[in-house]
Amino acid sequence: MELLECINLEKSFGNKKILKNINLKIPRGKIIGLLGKNGTGKSTLIKIINDLLTPTSGKVLVNGKEIGVESKKIISYLPERTYLDKSMTVDKVINYFEEFYDNFDSKKARKLLKDLGLDTTQKLSKMSKGMQEKVQLVLVMSRKADLYILDEPLGGVDPATRDYILDTILSNFNEGASVIISTHLISDVERILDEVIFIDKGKIILTSDSDELRKKENGSIDEIFRRMFKC
Amino acid sequence: MLKKLLKYDLINIYKFLIIFYSLAIFFGILTRIFFSIENSFILNIIGQICSGAAISMMFSILINNFMRLWVRFKQNLYGDESYLTHTLPIEKKTLYLSKIITAIITLFTSVLVVALTLFIAYYSKDSIELIKGMLLPLANAYNNKVIIILFLLLFVLYLQFMNMLQCGLIGIILGHKKNNTKTLYSVLFGFGVYLVSQTIILIIIFLMALFNKDIMNLMYTNEMISLSSTKLIVYISIIIYTVILFIEYIIGIKLLNKGVNVD
Amino acid sequence: MNFEFDNNLPIYIQLVEQLKMYIISGRIKPGERLPSVRDLALQSKVNPNTMQKALTELEDVGLIYTERTNGKFVTIDKKLIEKYKKEYAKELSDRYFLSMNNIGYNNKEAIEYLEKLGGDN
Repeated sequence: MELLECINLEKSFGNKKILKNINLKIPRGKIIGLLGKNGTGKSTLIKIINDLLTPTSGKVLVNGKEIGVESKKIISYLPERTYLDKSMTVDKVINYFEEFYDNFDSKKARKLLKDLGLDTTQKLSKMSKGMQEKVQLVLVMSRKADLYILDEPLGGVDPATRDYILDTILSNFNEGASVIISTHLISDVERILDEVIFIDKGKIILTSDSDELRKKENGSIDEIFRRMFKC
Repeated sequence: MLKKLLKYDLINIYKFLIIFYSLAIFFGILTRIFFSIENSFILNIIGQICSGAAISMMFSILINNFMRLWVRFKQNLYGDESYLTHTLPIEKKTLYLSKIITAIITLFTSVLVVALTLFIAYYSKDSIELIKGMLLPLANAYNNKVIIILFLLLFVLYLQFMNMLQCGLIGIILGHKKNNTKTLYSVLFGFGVYLVSQTIILIIIFLMALFNKDIMNLMYTNEMISLSSTKLIVYISIIIYTVILFIEYIIGIKLLNKGVNVD
Repeated sequence: MNFEFDNNLPIYIQLVEQLKMYIISGRIKPGERLPSVRDLALQSKVNPNTMQKALTELEDVGLIYTERTNGKFVTIDKKLIEKYKKEYAKELSDRYFLSMNNIGYNNKEAIEYLEKLGGDN
């Protein structure tokens, strides 16, 4: 049974079709890049998988079952925005995750936050946005999940932070789990991807093993992508 | 999971309410103190001011209680926080139930604090006599003590509060179904649901009036309410409100279970 | 260990090449134990699956071997390492001659040029 499967998935807002007939299978144990320009439906797809949007038609199966409590137990999701209650201290947020997620490893989270040199008694509202995003990443990666879904984890960060984020992802994802990284900054992540999915105008254009694609098309994923979607 | 959710919901509401609770009781005590000192014009004026403050605090408690519950619901289920709320391994009905229980508890304590403040500020033989005078005929009709009648009426008021609250919640859900960015829709839908619920109550009472002459009289004449019909209406309104609250609860869960579309 | 990558080429092929270099240059000694796949992946900042693929390829050609419980080791077969070293040396030389031919030196002249360079130093 596939870890994640999308079957004939469609989403419209009013008359506007955002996702068109998405069919997708995500296997276990892979790091997968969901690559596409801004506003091509990446976030919409991810939000449907995380029950934040309802599909107009079609369905999503996680371990063969429709989205629900069971799928939420095994998916660890990093949204694009900061979603924590900012009046909470980091300690309280850690407690919160510990209470609601059985697979949350608070020791690991505390260690990672300590490595960041973060004072956990501080309120989130007192921190910079960049720091809040790092805290969120740490929380998400500290869950022993089966599937990590990271929506634009590298959006607008400096190179040092980018390295920190990629390192944190690589060194912390649960063994045997899959990771979906959605991004338009392809050259920054392509090295760590097993597989790539190109999405454009709400449609899946291509899915491939990344090294095979490099061999076949003779170039970096970034280059191949640019070639395909010239503006 | 429900317990954990409740903990966070309650903390979120009480964090704000506790300030108004303390202020209301504080001004209630001041009112009492200044009014108890006789023959001083200045102190009496100060007493009046404190009395005004206490009363406005009591209104603030209720208004803020409602607003906080609605705002919390909106933020938690449709705002930025919803990205966390809806990805917790919890069923939507549990999320909704937690909000309802939070409302039941916080509105109950708010009504209690308001009653307590009233008691502190204005309790005296005279005022009690006044209330007794008003409620005694009613109490006789029920073969009950005045205090129980008072609680019964308060209870109906409390149910009405719960009804207003839940109409607001359903309004928020419907408003977001219609449009995620405009809060106006939530307000309109909430108001609409409230009107519908009140209309249903009126229709039920009208239907009952067809079978009960006393109630019919109540509707068509300006005569003093007859005691027996008041008694009936109090009991019946408790039943109707309970049923309507339950129906609203089911509708709320059904709507939420259809899924949210968070912006 | 330090790795450099060119995104234009399959990552695992580059990993194989660079690990091979570490072995034939003796920077990782024969019989030395390699870090775990996950650690190696972290060091090189690549996907553990890709690292696994590269190590499997090296294992296929015999440059490393797996002890079931202890992990992966560089082969103790020094002859084999020597063979790959020579292969690589040949490849480098071929490339040198090819480039020199391209600018008009024949092989003999190219060798003489190298000798001269060697003499200078």
